[in-house]
Amino acid sequence: MKRLLREFLKGITIENPTFRLALGLCPTLAISTSIVNGFGMGLAATFVIVGSNMIVSSIRGVIPSKIRIPSFIVIIATFVTIVELVMKAYFPSLSKALGIFVPLIAVNCIVLGRAEAFASKHGVVRSIFDGLGMGVGFTFALVLISTIREAFGNGTLLGLIIVKGFEPALLFILAPGALLVIGILMGFINHVTER
Amino acid sequence: MFRVSPAPHIKSNLSSRKIMYLVMLALLPAGIAGVYIYGLCSLKVIFISMASCVLWELLFLKFRHKDPRIVLDGSALLTGLLLAYNLPPEVPFWIPVVGAWASIILGKQLFGGLGHNIFNPALVGRVFLQISWPVYMTTWKNPRWALDSVSTATPLAKEGARSFSYIDLFLGNHGGCIGEVCILALLIGVLFLIFTNVISFHTPLSFFGTVMVLAWIFGGKGIFQGDPIFHLLAGGLILGAFFMATDYVTSPLTRRGKIIFGIGCGLLTILIRLKGGYPEGVSYAILFMNAMVPMIDRYTKTRKYGLVKKGR
Amino acid sequence: MDLNRLLMVAISVIFINNFILSKFLGLCPFIGVSKKTEPAFYMGLAVTFVMTASSIITWAVYSFLLRPFHIEYLRTLSFILVIASSVQLIEMFIQKFNPALYKVFGIYLALITTNCAVFGVAVLNSEMFLKVADNLTRSLVFCVVQGFCAGVGFTMVLLLMSGIRERLELCNVPRSMKGMPIAFIVASLMSMAFMGFMGFRF
Repeated sequence: MKRLLREFLKGITIENPTFRLALGLCPTLAISTSIVNGFGMGLAATFVIVGSNMIVSSIRGVIPSKIRIPSFIVIIATFVTIVELVMKAYFPSLSKALGIFVPLIAVNCIVLGRAEAFASKHGVVRSIFDGLGMGVGFTFALVLISTIREAFGNGTLLGLIIVKGFEPALLFILAPGALLVIGILMGFINHVTER
Repeated sequence: MFRVSPAPHIKSNLSSRKIMYLVMLALLPAGIAGVYIYGLCSLKVIFISMASCVLWELLFLKFRHKDPRIVLDGSALLTGLLLAYNLPPEVPFWIPVVGAWASIILGKQLFGGLGHNIFNPALVGRVFLQISWPVYMTTWKNPRWALDSVSTATPLAKEGARSFSYIDLFLGNHGGCIGEVCILALLIGVLFLIFTNVISFHTPLSFFGTVMVLAWIFGGKGIFQGDPIFHLLAGGLILGAFFMATDYVTSPLTRRGKIIFGIGCGLLTILIRLKGGYPEGVSYAILFMNAMVPMIDRYTKTRKYGLVKKGR
Repeated sequence: MDLNRLLMVAISVIFINNFILSKFLGLCPFIGVSKKTEPAFYMGLAVTFVMTASSIITWAVYSFLLRPFHIEYLRTLSFILVIASSVQLIEMFIQKFNPALYKVFGIYLALITTNCAVFGVAVLNSEMFLKVADNLTRSLVFCVVQGFCAGVGFTMVLLLMSGIRERLELCNVPRSMKGMPIAFIVASLMSMAFMGFMGFRF
């Protein structure tokens, strides 16, 4: 049990995919304009990571190692397609806001990275927990970045105005703001951990 | 080990601190003109901008445990002055404060301070503000003596601009940024810089040349019917070309590089003015070309003397 | 063929909606391979080549397979497989027939088989030009132009970035900002400069 908890926690902290490993940055920057988008993206990616980790680890004895990458890709792409269709049917506005970044989860380096580095070598239960941890860590990073961007760039949190009279800096919800926020956050985390 | 390479040896033997104060002196007439034309509100913007640049720099130096006397090199003051010159006269007080943060912290200190920055700090501040608060940054004030107090568009605006005589443009009798309007005052400063031999003229001249030729060819209804003089006098071209594109740190080292830099700036400026969504393109053009400088330097380096071995 | 629209697509994907600075696609190679100019150039070349090639391939898959059989929902799956396998094929081909080229070029091809910029251009093409039934040659031309120009824009930004990062090596950047953080700050400032291209009309 303790080991499972450790698998879960490492994705959020020491192996956080966004801040520590710098993986999967493309969607992180592109859709973190509002908290809702960031959270939705995080959930979708978590589902794909957990699902693909589960399948990959359960058939890891069957796949010949030469064709393992293509077969991982097929598994991942299948889960992404499920997410795409479900999102389009039940959350059309979110699906529209995330745009091409939903299909792009398929080439997110976190997903393939976990399948190759962890799930293909470990048991099903541990892989599920690893996937959950990575997914939650990714979601956490997304929500953190999108909170900052929404607060500064739109003056709101979850759509509610925070301070009356605050004039939001449009830059933060545009492209330069995303790069700025991630750069400063990474520098800040380096600064804190280097002590 | 000392290696002599044709790199950052500035042609004159002026210290960088002295250069900063000389450039500030050269900018003085334009500031006086700005205050005279738009009233005391411009003086307030200039003061807040310079003060907050110095304060941000002091804060960051303290944060990095560095000698606070570095601030005396004058670069923060000059950045603040240039930033203010690039702002409309009636912006709220916090606009120059935030702009100073972008200039000093993002544009300069995160790269390691004076001499290490890639982009011109004042322009980083201006573009940051322009993108963040486009409304404030394009609300112009008429000269004090104008009869209608309703704010109007600058001469370069895509719509709603009325035509100005060359004399009005030259003297600054129209809406615009504090430091860019009065060409006469700017030219007095430029003469002073020629006299003290502070800036090189390759960049400004190739910048003007490109803008004027392209404005003449493409600026009008048909081909070769544009108005090159108008494009020279309107907007921030003179201020940008003489005082910001010539910044030692963020422009190429060699003469050939400077000319390429100027041509690139001119090309982008006229492209944005004629085809882009913004009325004025000088600051974006210079910022874009700042990013090209390492590449330009790489391919225009003189390789005649003391071929320095690769690697350090 | 409406040349004007084609030009607009090209300018848009190079400057206004630059893949790196505005769409955030292909950030991994952008941060990873932009430390030196030479590898950056080869990387850009490889990306441009693969983007153009995969634009053609996915155009064929979409117009001859997915649309006729109404299985558009398999787009993600089929695109990713087709792109990955054809890049592998190209890689093997180059390795066999031009080992010298493979030596400088091959590793970059291997790195971008599942690159999000390459996949992104295919998805973007399908959203913009392939969803609506159109003249086949016309949609092919648009796909190829968009794919090629996306690569050109990518290469341009990668080269500029590598020049700046080579210079940053000599700079006194604060310790906690060294490496990736300052690279992102530079990218942010470049992205600000690129905002000047917003709203271009021809």
